[in-house]
Amino acid sequence: MSQGRAAFEARLQDVLERRYHDKHPFNLRMHQGLLSREEIQTWVRQRYYYQTRIPLKDSVILTKSGDPAFRREWVQRIHDHDGRAPGEGGLEKWLRLAETVGLDRGDVESLAGVLPAVRDACDDYVRLVEERDLLEAVASSLTEMGAHRIMRVRLAAFEKHYPWVDEEGLAYFRSRVSQAARDSEWGLAWVLENAATGEEQDRCVAALEKKCEILWRLLDAVELAHRKPRIASAAQLRNDPKDGALTAVLPERAVRLNESGREILEACDGERTADAVARELAARHPEVPGVEPDVHTFLGEMERLGVVESRR
Amino acid sequence: MIVPRPYNLIAELTYRCPLRCAYCSNPLDYAGVREGLDAKEWARVFRQAAELGVLHVGLTGGEPCVREDLAEIVAAAAEAELYIHLVTAGTHLDADGLDALVDAGLRSVQLSLQDVEPEPADRLAGGAFFERKLAFAAWVRARDLPLTLNVVLHRGNLERTRDAVELAARLGAHRVELANVQLHGWALRNREALLPGRAQLEAASQAVREARRDHPKLQIVFVLPDHFSDRPKPCMGGWGRKNAVVAPDGLVLPCHGARALPLEFWSAREHAFGVCWSDAPGMNAYRGETWMRDPCRTCPERERDFGGCRCQAFALAGDAAEADPACALAPAHDVVLAARRRADAAGEAPGLVYRGDR
Ligand code: SF4
Ligand code: SF4
Repeated sequence: MSQGRAAFEARLQDVLERRYHDKHPFNLRMHQGLLSREEIQTWVRQRYYYQTRIPLKDSVILTKSGDPAFRREWVQRIHDHDGRAPGEGGLEKWLRLAETVGLDRGDVESLAGVLPAVRDACDDYVRLVEERDLLEAVASSLTEMGAHRIMRVRLAAFEKHYPWVDEEGLAYFRSRVSQAARDSEWGLAWVLENAATGEEQDRCVAALEKKCEILWRLLDAVELAHRKPRIASAAQLRNDPKDGALTAVLPERAVRLNESGREILEACDGERTADAVARELAARHPEVPGVEPDVHTFLGEMERLGVVESRR
Repeated sequence: MIVPRPYNLIAELTYRCPLRCAYCSNPLDYAGVREGLDAKEWARVFRQAAELGVLHVGLTGGEPCVREDLAEIVAAAAEAELYIHLVTAGTHLDADGLDALVDAGLRSVQLSLQDVEPEPADRLAGGAFFERKLAFAAWVRARDLPLTLNVVLHRGNLERTRDAVELAARLGAHRVELANVQLHGWALRNREALLPGRAQLEAASQAVREARRDHPKLQIVFVLPDHFSDRPKPCMGGWGRKNAVVAPDGLVLPCHGARALPLEFWSAREHAFGVCWSDAPGMNAYRGETWMRDPCRTCPERERDFGGCRCQAFALAGDAAEADPACALAPAHDVVLAARRRADAAGEAPGLVYRGDR
């Protein structure tokens, strides 16, 4: 049975209340001013991948509607992100933010350092929009209802706690306050209008939950990149008596490592973050593509096997 | 035959033990086995094993901690660069004793619990040991050694499967082995009293699923007992393939129970470890696949389970070259089905025969 508009809207609001990433520990720490410069950098660098997926998913949404009025409205989002000319738009503003927090613009744009888990989460978002119908696709973008709130909090937090990020760097957040408010108002009205049956309403709620989960996963991955890996106290690192291969012996297993494994583990001193280790290895091997994500995948696997342990 | 490289040495330092578990995997005639190897001889075995490729040694027994030269033995294993894992009942060592082992190079500890509540645990073990064991677990964790908790599950304690996991989590264990009692050693004598019924096992499996969800970081090992699974376990990872057992008298064996088989094994007192491992007729009797009969000979699963446990085939089918009767395809599977039926039939469990009081 379909619920009345008000009840349906309340359900959507409730999803955001419970699951929107403004409650993620990383965002809480960001807004309390507790993040290090390095953590801010990682977040900006990783979140850029998400920004690049937004116009892609909006383009997919455009292909799902036969209604010129809808497309006229929705295409605005692509303009907001990509700008009407080079040097404009949300993506460009994000790159400026990257520069002001001390990142290399070319490096960020190259996506070379995108964490595998971040890539997975963001790609899942595009896939969600591809696979579901227009209604669910639009419902999944209703996280914008939370976005304009979080942008206000964030702006205040940056001005107060991270004064080294200058006004130009904050331009993205500033522009999103009004854009997100306008977009979400329009999007919400459209979803309320078009989800006629109870089943459709349920699907909208589920799509919005899914989207919240994706944003949450992105921050999980960023947090994880700041753990400080070291060889687990349970592990004995040694060379294999037969062939010399580096081997980590544990209570229940032995893990053989190749040369890159050795190099990564040697960099894990319990002081440097996983992110720092990955960057260092990438800098050491500029000729090899994909070093950073490989290091993160490797460290995740080593942690699962018990070879590496981490503290925050 | 290409002799495989052993990776793991199980050093049974003694069959002596202050406990009396009714499912002990030591041989029934353990008291007749001489304790042969002194610390110097163990040092030689470790050195020779390490040269062959062994990376890991489990010091076990009986109760390894009854040996007064244990620290010396640990130091010798460390000298050979082996990863040293102590398998103990945790009743014999005080904190200073543990420190001495850590200083000598001990890396990790497996503590066996007979139950998760003091009363039944102490009844099964035959003494007031439970509190001591918990204290021992705390000492292990205080020294930052990884702790594995091993609880043998049977008809009398399967209800407390979930409690076992909670206890492991509370003690800070990184792994808990919920080992369903297997049908050899003393357990075979006690099978009527120990084997659980299906309903009991299903409840325990459910408890494990929930525990895994609630403790994602804890490794929880739970294996169905042989008489309720239709395929055998890959016993010891294959006969003479990855694991070597050295018994207290120096006999080099493919598993704890193999000395009960009518086979010739050699002692590391008389030969180099490598010679015992690669050339003793008993070690080669069931290596590889050439010994296999139907149905194992052509079975696609033989690479995974190696035809199961030879000792169980010997004990239940009367011939170690038969397929493990735990396998539903084995000619002697009836024996296991009969055990399953008996276990399923609700009835008073007979009393236990404890290790020692035959
Ligand atoms: S199973 Fe029990 S009796 Fe047997 S050696 Fe271990 S602790 Fe001792
Ligand atoms: S027939 Fe033999 S190899 Fe095949 S599953 Fe049974 S025991 Fe294993």
